[in-house]
Amino acid sequence: MRRTAARLGLWLLVAAIVVFAVFPFYYAVVTSLKTGSGLFRVDYWPIDATLANYLAVFREQPFGRNILNSMGVAALTVAVSLALALAAAYACARVAFRGRGLLLMSILSVSMFPQVAVLSGMFELIRGLGLYNSLPGLALSYMIFTLPFTVWVLTTFMRELPKELEEAAIVDGAGPWTVVTRVFLPLLAPALAATGLLAFIAAWNEFLFALTFTLSNEQRTVPVAIALMSGASRHELPWGNIMAASVIVTVPLIALVLVFQRRIVAGLAAGAVKG
Amino acid sequence: MAEVTLKGVGKRFGATDAVKDVNLTVADREFAVFVGPSGCGKSTLLRLIAGLEEASTGELLFDGQRVDHLAPARRGIAMVFQSYALYPHMTVYDNMAFGLRRTGLDRQGVEKRVKAAADTLQIAHLLDRKPKALSGGQRQRVAIGRAIVREPRVFLFDEPLSNLDAALRVQMRVEIKRLHAALGTTMVYVTHDQVEAMTLADRMVVLNDGAVEQVGAPLDLYHRPRNRFVAGFIGSPRMNFLDVTAGGDGTVALAGGGWLPVPAAERAAGGQPLALGIRPEHVVLGGSDLEGRAVLVERLGGGTLVHLELADGATLTAATDGASPVRGGEPLGVGLPPPSCHLFDGAGLALEAPP
Ligand SMILES: Nc1ncnc2c1ncn2[C@@H]1O[C@H](COP(=O)(O)OP(=O)(O)OP(=O)(O)O)[C@@H](O)[C@H]1O
Ligand SMILES: [Mg+2]
Repeated sequence: MRRTAARLGLWLLVAAIVVFAVFPFYYAVVTSLKTGSGLFRVDYWPIDATLANYLAVFREQPFGRNILNSMGVAALTVAVSLALALAAAYACARVAFRGRGLLLMSILSVSMFPQVAVLSGMFELIRGLGLYNSLPGLALSYMIFTLPFTVWVLTTFMRELPKELEEAAIVDGAGPWTVVTRVFLPLLAPALAATGLLAFIAAWNEFLFALTFTLSNEQRTVPVAIALMSGASRHELPWGNIMAASVIVTVPLIALVLVFQRRIVAGLAAGAVKG
Repeated sequence: MAEVTLKGVGKRFGATDAVKDVNLTVADREFAVFVGPSGCGKSTLLRLIAGLEEASTGELLFDGQRVDHLAPARRGIAMVFQSYALYPHMTVYDNMAFGLRRTGLDRQGVEKRVKAAADTLQIAHLLDRKPKALSGGQRQRVAIGRAIVREPRVFLFDEPLSNLDAALRVQMRVEIKRLHAALGTTMVYVTHDQVEAMTLADRMVVLNDGAVEQVGAPLDLYHRPRNRFVAGFIGSPRMNFLDVTAGGDGTVALAGGGWLPVPAAERAAGGQPLALGIRPEHVVLGGSDLEGRAVLVERLGGGTLVHLELADGATLTAATDGASPVRGGEPLGVGLPPPSCHLFDGAGLALEAPP
């Protein structure tokens, strides 16, 4: 009896969490399938479902282009962040040098500043580099928040790797590059997947920099494109289109999480390299 | 194959001297064992030879050539680590081939050498497995295999058996000894287990607090320890030490009042306080040199350890045969055969018996 009750309680809790997490998305899906006055009715099932909004999103603005932009920027951010963070983590975790602790603290302190605080400085930097209104410029600006945590997480993980493993590789004739790529990289795969995904999500969702550092519709990323959607008149909000667009941009994230699910769990559970 | 020479080698870590002025030559094909208590600098000394640590002072030579400036891989050494340090994401084959591939050897060459090493160590059937799927003993073999495929000039082992259970340790010990005979490579082996050291070593190097206390064949160290530290460290159970006074005429006065003629006592002036050392296996129960009482009797089957309390309160351990009828609480006479007695002066140095 008590075990059944406990089970029931557990399932209720799980159900509550799922509803809390998934319902808003579900409601967005339902809404995105409605048109006209149906949009302002509260429905829990798709009634008169139509894909008209989805088609309209792509017809009324370069939304396909925006998605590609977002993917490009996010992928570039992830790739460069991980590459830099891996190298930095090797130095911070494995090479003894003066001021290592200070360096790590200053890397962390970078993430202390709110985006707004660095916005104007970053704007000057991007313009100075001639990267205004370009995707590499955006990726560069995103590294200000992706690098601190990727460096920190990878450093922590790399510290956990046994020192003797590296020494065995050195005795085997491996230089630092081989040690990192052939020995550490495979062992850090779960950590890389987890941090890479977090960096991807952060870059994918970023709004403020994307709004400030782009000018033309063709260079915009998805969050900005959605925010700037406008209807036929100034007073009409294209609610159906916005919902459809939101659903479209959420799907890649869900897909990524599902694909990397097991690695991420392994990465967050850590200590996966004993033996 | 190489002769390893250390000249005045020292290593400082900040304020601690981990290794102090070590002068040592390990001959070609020799099996040298570094032994000493925890923290005495054994591993550090081995890592200096490997090149994983840079010496603060001194020179390191292989076959008379300085190698201090060479990276570990260029010195022609191979090392077996205490934790095995196998690459967890690679198969046994790849673990063993990793170092060979770095040397630019072609595929067939790599395969031939890995197969040969695997056959020697009887791990040929494990080549496709990951280290996770191996037992402790099998991992140890793979770690040794990874070292032998590289055909090094010098083998370095850092407590390779300490993670194995007792039975397996004995078996692997025999195998390592056999491997040394088969390969004929210079080996340097670190352990804190003196049984391992005694059985494996051609030459033992006893370290204490970063310095070499004595170098010699295991039995030399057992029979002629140079000082009290070596005497106490080699042999199990430990050597007994009793406070005595030199008589000045080749005898020492025991605390119990008796006089014992000990050859080495001739070197001491009369009245000089000395320490008399005698190994438990040399103590004779039923003798008449000292009076004591058995406080604890440990029966090990093959032998018996008798812990005695002497009249003056000092303790003494005696090892006798397994069938000994001694019981706890019993009063016992103890005999100290003079040829088995060692004498140490106030500084702990052994007094040498005259020839
Ligand atoms: N990287 C290091 N930094 C600072 N001190 C160190 C370092 N490595 C070793 N030491 C110190 O040097 C001394 C010798 O250490 P070492 O590891 O050589 O001892 P050991 O004889 O191998 O001991 P064990 O039997 O416990 O392995 C110790 O006091 C240790 O604290
Ligand atoms: Mg050690």
